[in-house]
Amino acid sequence: MGTEAAAAVEGKAKPRTLDQQRKRLGLYMTLPAQLLLLFIVAFPLVMQLYVSLTLWSPLDGEDWYYAYKSFTWFYNYIDLVTNERLWDAIGRTVLIMAVVVPVEFLIGFGLATLFVDSFPGKRIFYSILIMPMMIVPAVAGYMFFMIFQSNGPLNQLLGIDTVWLGSPNLAMIAVMVADIWQWTPLMFLILLAGILGVPEDQLKAATLLGASWGQKFVRIVLPRMKTVIVIALVIRAVESFKLFDLMFIMTKGGPGVATETISVWIFKLTFNDLDWSYVAAIGLSILIALSVFAIIGLTVMARASKRMNADVVD
Amino acid sequence: MKSHLTLANGVRYAVILIAVIAALFPVAWMATMAFKPVAEWTTTVQDLTWLPKEPTFGNYEFIFFGTSDQLIVSLDRSATGPIFASLVTASLGTLIAVVAGTLGAYGVSRFGVGKNLPLGVLQLRLFPPLAVLIPVMIMWAFLGMIDTWWGLSLIYGIVTLPFAFWLMMTFFDEVPREIEEAALVEGCSPWRVFYRVTLPMVKAALATTILFVFILNWSDYVIALLLTRKDWVTIPVYMNALTSAMTGQMYGAKAALGLIAVIPPVILGIIIQKHLVRGLTFGALKQ
Repeated sequence: MGTEAAAAVEGKAKPRTLDQQRKRLGLYMTLPAQLLLLFIVAFPLVMQLYVSLTLWSPLDGEDWYYAYKSFTWFYNYIDLVTNERLWDAIGRTVLIMAVVVPVEFLIGFGLATLFVDSFPGKRIFYSILIMPMMIVPAVAGYMFFMIFQSNGPLNQLLGIDTVWLGSPNLAMIAVMVADIWQWTPLMFLILLAGILGVPEDQLKAATLLGASWGQKFVRIVLPRMKTVIVIALVIRAVESFKLFDLMFIMTKGGPGVATETISVWIFKLTFNDLDWSYVAAIGLSILIALSVFAIIGLTVMARASKRMNADVVD
Repeated sequence: MKSHLTLANGVRYAVILIAVIAALFPVAWMATMAFKPVAEWTTTVQDLTWLPKEPTFGNYEFIFFGTSDQLIVSLDRSATGPIFASLVTASLGTLIAVVAGTLGAYGVSRFGVGKNLPLGVLQLRLFPPLAVLIPVMIMWAFLGMIDTWWGLSLIYGIVTLPFAFWLMMTFFDEVPREIEEAALVEGCSPWRVFYRVTLPMVKAALATTILFVFILNWSDYVIALLLTRKDWVTIPVYMNALTSAMTGQMYGAKAALGLIAVIPPVILGIIIQKHLVRGLTFGALKQ
């Protein structure tokens, strides 16, 4: 900003070259990131579209660029729409999301309210509570795999002999518990940052005016935290949709296909069935669906934040 | 008033204590399992104990040397290779992400070029890796990058680029521009300004970003599962192989290795605790 203004005042010759210099440097500096992005977006997308319109599989013994020999237009996509296994997998993925995200949010929020003011031992408790999210997810999967064994420590603690990972519904619950264990700390961390960002003088003023704890919470804390809450929920929703590590290690989608999420199903199709053109079609469909959701979400959020800014100005 | 306060505090400590126990339960089970002899890996519920009855380093001996007096089976590969592979690929991936991310963030933040980058890299984070797995696998195979250190490092660098980019972007935005502009007026070239003026100012931020991105790369499972086969499998993928027809799941060996895998990110995470919120929300929130 400043240099542009300066350029206007000082005349044209020298500042313009400096501007050009800066522009060129900017291009060079962004080049690596641009190339990486292009590398992982442009070519893969085109190839994915191409392969998804064929019946190609690595078993054909021919390279992917010969896939046109089995060109079938939209056969894979039409088949997808009527594939019950897909819709079941989507349903399970959404179910997991619908359970774990609110539970993580509520526990995380509850814990965060306990950490607002200081008390002895706060720092050490805080460090312990956020530790689960730093555990390598695959290792967390192995931990819970051991814990949920029928002769494992959980059954011993509860005094039961339930077969957790071998029965469809209980296996889902076990994976949800593992996910909640691992990611509640993230909610806790983000929401605590949000609560601490609420201006203290407003709370003090409210206290002076005789507002109760509940009133302060609903009238001051919650409205101030709207953005933080949305960010926390969106991040967890997106991540829980991708759920793979925990599920794959704990159940491999089993028993049968009872705990198959989208990611686990895609993995099996790729490595067990080697149905690569079909997987390409699924992948592309997911990318398109998620992009549509993202665009809708961003539009809604942009509108909401505009309204919120207006509120603050008022 | 006083008694009310202590009651509230009592409830607070009780709730926090429950949460702490829940947070530590699985980790503690794995940590003690790592030192249990084979006979205690799986027992009946009645014989289950938290602390090993006969603590041993046998599990570590087994994963590092491939054999142990307690086990008839032996490993065809020790855990040394996978630990090395995890270290190399996570580090190089971090290098790629942080260099490209830092340069790119500075370019966007100061020179206004590459307006597509902020949202473009964010999109990388939205999509499940498995949705693009077919083209990536074909590409990596075509370029001879399956099961190589450079292939895995490259994809790690791309996958964590969004975090590096956004973190550095928010850190650059916080640096006062007056100093840079003063240096420019003094006749410094824009590159020298970046290299000699701005970069030293964000040293601490850069270190935070490096540690954060390293944790993410170290924590990967699915990408290594897809793109490595044998020579460059990382720790989590190798853990999968710690199963034998004779003994089934090798709980103790897995726990021993799991403990090694868990320690670096937990320590690094505690070091950068203050910046975790910023990192995980792509700089949208600061602590």
